[in-house]
Parts: sequence; structure tokens; C-alpha cells
Amino acid sequence: MGKDDFAKYPFLNEAGNFIKETYFDLDEFERPEFRHIIEKARKRVEYEVLKGIVCTEFEKYDLELFAFLISLIIIKHINIESITKKYSLFEAMRVEKFLTHDLIYQTNSKKRDLLISKIFHELLDLQIIQFDSQRNIFKMKISDYLSRSTLFHELEWKLINRSVDKGFVYLDVEETVRLVRNELSLLIYNKIKNMKITKIPDQIKLEADSIKHKVIFPTPVQTKNLKFPPCIEHALNQLNKNENLPHSARFLLATYMLFYGKSIDEIINIFKNAPDYNEQITRYQVEHLAGKKGSLIQYSVPSCSKLANENLCFYTHECKGITNPIQFGKKRLQRRND
Amino acid sequence: MGKRDYRDEMIKNETKNINFLQKCFKEYYFNKFKHLESPLDISRREFGFMSFDSKMTRHISFINMGQLNAFLIQNVPAGIYISNSYYDFPTFPINEKRLIGSDLIFDIDLKDLNLPCQKDHTYYICKYCDNISNNLPSSCSVCKSTKIDSTIIPCGICIRNLKNETKKLISFLVTDFGINHKSIYVYFSGNNGFHITALEKDYFNLDSKGRTDLVEYLMGKNFSVTSLGVTQYKNNLKVKIPISGLSYGWRKRISKNMKLFNITNNSLQKYVNRVGGYLLFKKEVENITGKMGVKIDPYVTMDIHRIFRMPGSINSKSGLSKVKCNNLDSFDPFSDACLFEDDRNVDVDVKTRLEFRFKRKKYILDKCSTTVPSSVGIYLVLKNLANLI
Ligand SMILES: [Zn+2]
Ligand SMILES: [Zn+2]
Repeated sequence: MGKDDFAKYPFLNEAGNFIKETYFDLDEFERPEFRHIIEKARKRVEYEVLKGIVCTEFEKYDLELFAFLISLIIIKHINIESITKKYSLFEAMRVEKFLTHDLIYQTNSKKRDLLISKIFHELLDLQIIQFDSQRNIFKMKISDYLSRSTLFHELEWKLINRSVDKGFVYLDVEETVRLVRNELSLLIYNKIKNMKITKIPDQIKLEADSIKHKVIFPTPVQTKNLKFPPCIEHALNQLNKNENLPHSARFLLATYMLFYGKSIDEIINIFKNAPDYNEQITRYQVEHLAGKKGSLIQYSVPSCSKLANENLCFYTHECKGITNPIQFGKKRLQRRND
Repeated sequence: MGKRDYRDEMIKNETKNINFLQKCFKEYYFNKFKHLESPLDISRREFGFMSFDSKMTRHISFINMGQLNAFLIQNVPAGIYISNSYYDFPTFPINEKRLIGSDLIFDIDLKDLNLPCQKDHTYYICKYCDNISNNLPSSCSVCKSTKIDSTIIPCGICIRNLKNETKKLISFLVTDFGINHKSIYVYFSGNNGFHITALEKDYFNLDSKGRTDLVEYLMGKNFSVTSLGVTQYKNNLKVKIPISGLSYGWRKRISKNMKLFNITNNSLQKYVNRVGGYLLFKKEVENITGKMGVKIDPYVTMDIHRIFRMPGSINSKSGLSKVKCNNLDSFDPFSDACLFEDDRNVDVDVKTRLEFRFKRKKYILDKCSTTVPSSVGIYLVLKNLANLI
């Protein structure tokens, strides 16, 4: 593997060794000729952490390697968990771009094989087998695929939407690389977490502090002012009192929350208080309801008359004139996914 | 009779039935223990037991079959259950057991097949007065109680359909999941279905999420036409066959079903237009996945902390045993799974007119007292269709 590769894939052990072998001392970053590397690192962090854009700039390998090292120090110094995670993810996406490109365009099959064995086999412990060099298809065991794909929520990652045969899943290069994004991001995350720095050069500290000041924390979604219709309120209260809800009431809650754009995890969280709570089953059911959204069959929120039939309606004067819980307080509440 | 009298009568019958059943089950555990299949790695498995008054005890383990045998003779449970998972500490609460791995297990049951013949052999039994009707009443026509039980005697059509569904599952497991035929074991559940176990190390460590995805695959759920390369954006149809092709898995199943061979972007686009556009194409695909998917109970496979009836043990809903089917085609549950000896006759009160086959003999019983071989007696009493006299 060449030095360019270490710079593209800086989590490789060889990359670390390379830096060690240069007998490089952090203090040297104080020297003016290193200014532009620090500048490069600052830009990379700002792009990824503040603007949310993957930085794909690639100059000389030693420049890139040192810039990577400095950016890690900056993140370490900022020391905010969500920033560390965001940076790790964007760096993983940067790697993804290089890796996809190399796997498609590297014509030297020896170099390509080495890349596959170093990154997939050794580092990620994922046995991918080249299936058809012409069309760039990899195959892997179904179990290896599933242990990673179930982290994704998009329909395309469901096994049923993949090419599956005799125990193997067939993926193209882009899909194969996308599959390991989380692991790549974890590698970088761990690198930052395990880094031990005794003294940070002033110039780097300065840049890190200036970035830290620019970080805007997302404000949590206000739910306090949301006024639920009495049927939903009642169901939520029952759950909060750890009482068992009938299936029909659960269906009402889930479809209502989905309608207002709540995420699957948020909805599952609501059901955590149910005495017979089982995360697996709840997730399956909620995902089932959610998965059908936008397809031919849409699970809609049951109408007031249907709810009344099932003894789930708790009519108050505020319900006047509505025929479905979603119309309740319409003026105050704006549908998020309109 | 008033409600009170019905209750007293019921309790009297119940006691007689249970005494009789307990005696038969005890004999089974004593004389027929060899039918119980010795499980792999018994000491790492969780056992559970159901008593005759429907109480469940779980988190029990045994070092060997001898210890289990002694337990059975002493406690005479109605049902014996064993985990498909292996644990470091099988007797600890679920979160502390420390999972090692789980065999893949599937449940094919009549309740998931929705067969039209079902209504012809389903019986609705009043919990208070034993009155039986063939249609689900809103309340009992005799005592007006609303507590109604139901029971099924599967017919030949039922069994044939269950077998076909089982074969469908096996073919998926072999062709798509690469599981060796020899690693797949089919068991008659002892009542209305089949349990299929696959001992394949590749899937042993699959977590519940992975099993959920696997189940959806088998059931044909959540298929997206995008994976065939068909998408629609702002009313414009776009067809671009994915790089990974259409020659495997569901993609192949669906295109073959549509009689599409050597597909190109062009021919697929033409096909979509021929069926009437994107939405109708999607609908057709949904029909195919619904038809070709296997009808299994998803929760059984997803949940890795379940316990299952132990192979060779008696199903207390029927008195038939859960047995391995070495030849599915010739398997007849009403003779191959009847492991009780017919060394005596018993007198029973049959609750309704019944017609059924048992141990290759046809029985037509009227609603009255009659004498039947003990295995038939056990079957009818457990099916809630007769009382012991
Ligand atoms: Zn009655
Ligand atoms: Zn039938």
C-alpha cells in the first residue's frame, strides 16, 4: 500500500506507524511553516462539523495525514460528544468516497485486492468476495450482511430488497462500502476517544476554541405546548400509569404519532411503560404501520365514530365539529409532514 | 339448571378429566420417556413446564436426561418446553442469562393459513355449560354465557396445506439461505401445525433484528419495486435495472412469475406500461409477494427468548406428541403422532356429533355416552369435546 492510501485511510495501522516513523513532535506545529496545515485542518473540521459537508479535498499525502492528525486534536479539545460523533461520521463518509472510487477505478488488481483485504477482511472482519470483476459485485454471507444492515431503516436495506442466493447477498461497490459506514465512523470515533495528549500547541487550541464558539446546539422540539385530543391524552395517561392498553388504543396512538411526524424510536419510547412492553415486537408493529406510509395502503388514524364504537372516545367541548382526532386544534397544530 | 348448577357440574367433570389425564401422562413419562428427544447441549437450555391448571414455570435447567426424567415423574406436567437458545446461565432471569446463540425456528400453524375448510371443523364450546355450536355465537344459546372457547379438528385439507407451506419454507431456506437440507428438521407440533428447526452455525448468532428481517424475507413483506429498478418521480416512470441484477432471490421470483426473461431496461419499461403504469405494477408485485411468501408466525422466529414444546413430549391441547417427520409426504399426524398405548377402553360423554379419523380408523360419534380406546378418549377430553365418565 502506498502513502497516498495511508492518507486516504488514516485509520489503518500503517498510517499510524508512518507518523511515528517521522519522529514528529507536536510542538513542531508551533512553527510558522505548519500554519497552513493547521489552517487546512480547521477548514476540514468547520466544513464537516459546522456546515455538514463532506470534505473530499486531497492534496499531498503527508499534508493530508498531518491535517487529519490536527483535526483529531481539535475535536478532542472541543470535547463535545455530539461533535465527536458528527465528525467521525463525516470522516467515515469521506473515506467512503475514496474507497468507492478506488474499488471501481483501481485497475491494478493486486493493489485492489490488498485494499479489500486490509480494510474489509482485517480491519472490519467482513469477508467480502469479489463475484464479478467486470460489474464490480461483491458477495458476503447473509448473516454478515444482516448484522450490519439492520442498523439502517430504509426499505432498500431490507434483505428482501437485495439479491440473495444460497446464503449470500450480492451488493455493488457503493452498497458494500455504504454498509460499513457505521464501523468506519466507529474506528475514527475510537481513535479520538483513545487519544492521549498532554499538551496541545497554542495555535491548535486557538482554532479549536473558535470552532467551539460557533457550535449551535439544536433546541429540543417543544412538546409541552402540543395539545393532544382527549382520546390520545387518555391513552397516554393510561400508559403512564403502567396500565395495559388494548390493541385498538395502541393502534390509535401509533398512527396518530406517525401522522404528526414522530420518529419510530420516539413512538416506541411512548410504549415503554406498557406492562407487556417488548421492544422487538413493538418495533415490528410500529415499523409495519410506518412502512406502509406512502404506499397504496396507508394506515390512517381511526375516525372519531370508529373510536366511539371501541370505547376509546373521550369527547369534550373542544372536539366540537371534528370527525377525526387529527383535526383537533388544527389551528394551533401544524402538520409537520404535509 | 341455574348458572351455579352448571358451574358445579363443570368442576366435577374437570376434576375427573384431570385425574384421568394425569394418570395417562405419568405412565407416558414412565414408560415412553425414550420418545423424548435428547436435546443438544441440554445444560445450556432453559426448560419450562405447564401444569394441568395452566400455570407456567420457567427458568429451569437440567444436567442430563435422567434428571429431567425424574422431574417429570415427580411433577407430571401437562406441557414440557425447551428454549431454542443456549445460555451461560439458563436459570437466571432473561436479562442475566447471557445468550450464547439460538437455533433458527419457524412455526407454521393453521391459524395463519386462513383456510376456507376451517369453519367446517371448528367447534365453539360454552365455558359454563359445555354446549357446543358450529358457528361462533355472541352468547351461549343454552345458558346465555358469553365465555366461549373454540377447538379445531384439522381435516385432510388442513394437513395437506400445512405440509405445502412447510415445503415452501424449506425451499426458501435451501435456495436463498443456503441451509443444507440435512440441517433442517421438521416436527409436527402435536396439534395444528409444524415446527421447523434449522441448525446452521451461520445463523446461530443472528440477533432478533436480523431474525425479523429474515422473517420478512420469507413472508414476502416490505418488498420495494425500487429493487427491481422501477421508480416513479413526479409521475414520471423510470426504469433502471440495478447493478446487482435481477437473477437472484425475490427479484428473480417476481420477474419469473411475470414471465420476464433476459430482462432489459427497455423490456421492463414496456411491461410496466402494459400492466397500466407504476401503481398497477406495484399492485401486481404485491399480489405476487403475498401469494409466494411463506405463512409463518413472525413472532416465534423473532423472539429469541421463547421456549418451545420439547420434541417427543405430549401436546396437552390434543394428547398427540410433538414428533419428528422424517418423511413429510407420508406423515399422518393422527397415527404417527399418537404415542399413547390402547391397552384399555374408557367411557366418555361426547359433547356433540363428531366425525374424525384416528389411528387409521374412522370414528363417527353421536352426542351421547360411548366407549372408546383410551388414546381416543385422551384426544377428545383434551380437545374439550368429551368428558370422562
Ligand atoms: Zn352455556
Ligand atoms: Zn380443514
